[in-house]
Amino acid sequence: MSDMKKTVFHDRHVSLGAKMVEFGRWEMPISYPNGTVEEHLATRRTAGLFDVSHMGRFRITGRGALRFLNHVLTNNVEALDPRQQGSQYTLIPTEEGGAVDDAYLYCFVPDEYLLVVNASNTEKDWEHLNGFLGGFEDVTMENVTDEESMLALQGPNSRAILEKLLDDGLLPEPMRNSVSTAAVAGTPTRVARTGYTGEPLGFELFVPANRAVELWDALVAEGAVPVGLGARDTLRLEAGLPLYGQDLGVNSQGEEMPLLSTPLAKVGLSFAAGKGQFVGRAALEKQFEAFGRIMRRDYSMMDVLPRMVRSVAVAGRGVARTGSKVLKEGKEVGHVTSGTMVPCCVVEGHGLESRLTDEKKLRSICLAHIDSDIVEDEQMEIEIRGKKVPAVVVPYHLRSEAPPFARPIIFDHEPPSKDLPQGDEPTQVRSLLKKSLENHVWRQKECINLIPSEMTTSPMTSLLSITDPSCRYAEHRSSKAFYDEEIFYYQGTDFIDEVERMLHEELCKFLGCTEVETRVISGQMANMAVFSAMVDYLNRTDRKSEPRRIARIMNNHIAKGGHLSAQPMGALRDFVARDPQTERPAVFNFPVLVENPFKIDVPKTLEMIDEVRPEFIIFGKSMVLHREPVAAVRRHLDDRKLDAVVMYDMAHVLGLVGPHFQEPFKEGADMVTGSTHKTFYGTQRGIIGGRFEENEERYQLWEAVQRRAFPGSTSNHHLGTLLGLLMACYEMNYFKDSYQTKVLSNAKAFAVALKDSGLDVAGDPEIDFTETHQVLVRVGYGRGPEIARRLEDNNIVCNYQAMPDEEGFTVAGGLRFGVSEMTRFGMEPDDFKELAGIIHDVVVSDKDVRDEAKALRQRFLDLGFCFRKEDYADLWQDLHELIG
Amino acid sequence: MSNIPEDLRYSEEHEWIRPASNHVTIGVTDHAQEQLGDVVFVELPEVGDEITRGAEFGAIESTKAYSELFAPVTGEVTEVNDSLIDAPEMLNKDPYGDGWMIRIAPAEESDIDDLMDAEAYREHIENEK
Repeated sequence: MSDMKKTVFHDRHVSLGAKMVEFGRWEMPISYPNGTVEEHLATRRTAGLFDVSHMGRFRITGRGALRFLNHVLTNNVEALDPRQQGSQYTLIPTEEGGAVDDAYLYCFVPDEYLLVVNASNTEKDWEHLNGFLGGFEDVTMENVTDEESMLALQGPNSRAILEKLLDDGLLPEPMRNSVSTAAVAGTPTRVARTGYTGEPLGFELFVPANRAVELWDALVAEGAVPVGLGARDTLRLEAGLPLYGQDLGVNSQGEEMPLLSTPLAKVGLSFAAGKGQFVGRAALEKQFEAFGRIMRRDYSMMDVLPRMVRSVAVAGRGVARTGSKVLKEGKEVGHVTSGTMVPCCVVEGHGLESRLTDEKKLRSICLAHIDSDIVEDEQMEIEIRGKKVPAVVVPYHLRSEAPPFARPIIFDHEPPSKDLPQGDEPTQVRSLLKKSLENHVWRQKECINLIPSEMTTSPMTSLLSITDPSCRYAEHRSSKAFYDEEIFYYQGTDFIDEVERMLHEELCKFLGCTEVETRVISGQMANMAVFSAMVDYLNRTDRKSEPRRIARIMNNHIAKGGHLSAQPMGALRDFVARDPQTERPAVFNFPVLVENPFKIDVPKTLEMIDEVRPEFIIFGKSMVLHREPVAAVRRHLDDRKLDAVVMYDMAHVLGLVGPHFQEPFKEGADMVTGSTHKTFYGTQRGIIGGRFEENEERYQLWEAVQRRAFPGSTSNHHLGTLLGLLMACYEMNYFKDSYQTKVLSNAKAFAVALKDSGLDVAGDPEIDFTETHQVLVRVGYGRGPEIARRLEDNNIVCNYQAMPDEEGFTVAGGLRFGVSEMTRFGMEPDDFKELAGIIHDVVVSDKDVRDEAKALRQRFLDLGFCFRKEDYADLWQDLHELIG
Repeated sequence: MSNIPEDLRYSEEHEWIRPASNHVTIGVTDHAQEQLGDVVFVELPEVGDEITRGAEFGAIESTKAYSELFAPVTGEVTEVNDSLIDAPEMLNKDPYGDGWMIRIAPAEESDIDDLMDAEAYREHIENEK
C-alpha cells in the first residue's frame, strides 16, 4: 500500500485501529473497530464523521467559468447563489447522453466554483474537462484536492456539534444545499448542507489541508463518530443514492447506461435557456421525453431508456449482491446494481411521537437496473446463489423530510390504525353529542387558550351565524348595464343584500379604505382570489394568448414567519412564474436582521427591490412579532417610480389595525387581506380590502378581485357566518380601542413575565419582545412538539413552532402563544404573570399543573369587548328558541 | 493475533469443530470473523439435511461480501443455531460460543482425525498471509 495516496487524516485512522483498504488509489478506512453496522447506526442516531478528502476537487474561476461549467455539466449553474442555494448535484455528461461521472458543484463566493467528483474518476474527469477548456476564454481550472481537505459530518447531532464549535460566522440556512463560510474550532471552514447519507441534518466541510486535523480532533472530541467507507456505502444505498460505476454511468455488468436510467440524475439535469447547446443536450432531451412518458406509463419510447435503476426490497431470506439476476415471471428483467443487508433502528410508537430505539434490525435491500415498464409494488425474484428469492419494487427505503432523523421505510410495514367508536346511528348520535359537550366544556371552561390564530366569538355573533340565512344561497355580481348595481340570481335575498352592504361599510371604516370584498370564506381564499386577480389584471390587454403569471414577487420566507397562503408551496403556486435564471419560483424573500430574524432588514429590502424590481410585494406572516415596514417600502417605490402592487396579508393582526399597531392603507398598502377570526374576533372567514378609486386605472385590478371572489372562488359564500361577521364588526368598531391596547400590553407583560420566570423568550428585549399579540418561547431544538403536548395535557393550549434557524416542524424548538383570546376573557397583565409561572413549571420542571390551570381559567369565563345579550334579552330569547 | 482455542479442531476453510460423544459442533473461527467484518446474514441447512465433506452447506454474508461455507465432515444435521437468523452479529461477538452454527452426527469418525489442531491451524493462517 506504500505507493498509495494518503489523506491528512491517515494517522488518525491508523491510531483508531481502522482497517485500511485501497480505494481509487487512496488508502482509506473501510471501517473502524466497531464495525460497519455500528458506524451506520451511529450516523443515523448521533453523528458520523467521514474523511472524504479522497474525492477529487477542482476549483474553476474566471469570467468564463459559468459559461464553461454550464457547457460541460448537466445542471443549471446560474441557479447557484451563495445566499440562497450555493450547491447543486450535477453530472458530467458525454455527447451521447451518458455520464462520465456524477458530481457536486459548490459556489461559496460569487464567480468561484468548486466541483467535487468521485475519487476513482478524478483523473478521467480532469482530462475530460480539460478537453473543453480551449473553447472558453478566461477560465482557470485547478486541481485543489491536495491543498484543501474535505470532511462530512452527518446525522441528527451534527448541527449541535458544529454549533458548539462555531467561533465566527453562521451555519448555512436550514435548507438542503445551502452554504456558508465560518470559523469552526478555530479553523476557516466552508460549510455546506450536503451529504451522501440521506441524513436530513448533514454538513460537508472544506478546510485548508494544514488545519484539517485540528478540526477532525475537535469534532471527535464533541462526539462525532468516525465512519469508514463500508458504512458510507450502506448509508447511501439505504438513502437510494447511486454510486458511479454500479448504479450510474456504467452498470454492474460494465455496460454504459443512458444518464436518465438513474432517476435521481433528473435532479441534476436542466435545459435552462442559459445552458445553450451543452454537451449531450440533444441526447438528454430525448431521454427526458422518454423518461416523462415512462413515468406516465407510456412505453412508446422505451428503446431510449430500456432499463432504469429502481429501489427494490428483498422480501424473502437472502442478500442481493451486485450482479445478481432479477427475474419477473421467470424471465430475466435486469440485474442488481448495489445490494446488501443494511441495519436500521427499530422505531417505537408512531407519527410525530415515534422514537428510534436502541434495538436494531437488518434488512435486505438493493438498487436494481430493471426493465422500465416494471412499476412500484410489482413482484419479482432475485436469483441469490441459485435460489429465487421474492422481491418487490419500492418507491424508497428511507425518508429524510422529518429531521432530525432519517426514517427507515420498511416496505411491508403498516402503521397501526386508530379505532373509531362503533354502533348504530342512534348510539353514534348520543356519543357524538356527549363528546361535543365535553370538548366544548373543556375548551371554553377548563382550558387556557393561547393559539394566536384562534378566537372565541361572542354569544350574539355565534347565534347569528346559525340563524337563517345560514342555509341559503345569495350569488350576486355587479353589472355595468345597471350602473354597477349588484344583481342577485335568487329570490329571498333582500335581507342578505342589505347585510352585505352594511358589512362593507363597517369594514371600510375599520380598515380605512374604500373597497372591501367579503365573499371569500377564508384568509387563504382571500389571498388566492387576489393572486388570481393579479394574473387576470396583468393579462388585461391580451385575452387571447396564454396568460402569463406574476413575474417577480417579494414576500416573507416561510421559515422567517411567512404563511403558507403566500408561499409557492401553498396558495401562490399556480400564480407565480418560474425565474428563467434559477428555474425556481420567482419569489424573493425579504432579508431579515441577523440579530433579530423576526424583523425585516429595511435597507437591505430596499436594495433588493431595486435589484429584483418586483411586480408584487406581499407583507404579513403567521409568526409575527413586529409591524411590517409598509411605509418605508411605499416611499421607496414612489421615489424610484417603481410600479409594484403592495399587499399586506394581515391574517393574524387584522384585529389590531389602528393607531396602536399599524394602519396599512395610511402607510401605502394597495390591498389588505386577512382572516376575520384571529385577533379580529369574528366568524371564520376572509376579507379583501382595497384602496383603489373608481377613476384610476388600477381599479381594474379591484374589479378583477371581485370577479375572482365570485364566480372565481365561491358560489355559496356561507351566509350565516357572514351575518355573524357583521355583528362582530359592530363589536370590533365599538370596542377596538380598549381591546387593542389591552392585547398589546398583555402580550408585552406576558413576554416579560415568561422571561423573568427563566424561560428563553425570542425577540428584542428592548421592546419587551413583541409588538403584536404573539409571544415566542424557545424550549430547545426539537423539543417543541413534546412540550406543546405536555402543556395541552395540563389544559394550556398553544402550538409548537419552528424557529427561523430550524429545519422544519419536526425539530421545532419554539412555542407560539397569543394573548388575544384570553384577553377577551378578561385576563390582565398580573394574570398573565401568574400564567407564565404555571407554564414555566410545565416546561422546566414537568410539573402537573392541571388543577392550577383549570382554576385560573375558571376566573375568566365571561367574554368581554362585545355587546351583552342581556341588553337585547327579548330578541335574543326569540332567536335562541327558534334555533331549536 | 486472533483467538485459537487449543481444544478444538480446524478446517482449512476456517471452521472450528468441537467433537462430543455422538455429535460435533461447527462454527467459524475468530480469524474468519475478523476477516469477514460485520456478519449480517447466515444461511444454514435444516435439521435432517445431509452434508458432505468438502461440499457447500451454507453461506455467510457480511457487509463486505458473501462467503460460502464448506462442510468439514460428512453427516446428518441434528441441530441448527436459529438465533443467528435474528442476531447474526453473534458470529462476530462470540464465534466459539453463542455464535456456533450447526451440530451434526458424523458418518465417518476418520473425517475428524483429518482436521488440523490449534497449532497446525495457527501455521495455516500464517501461511495464508
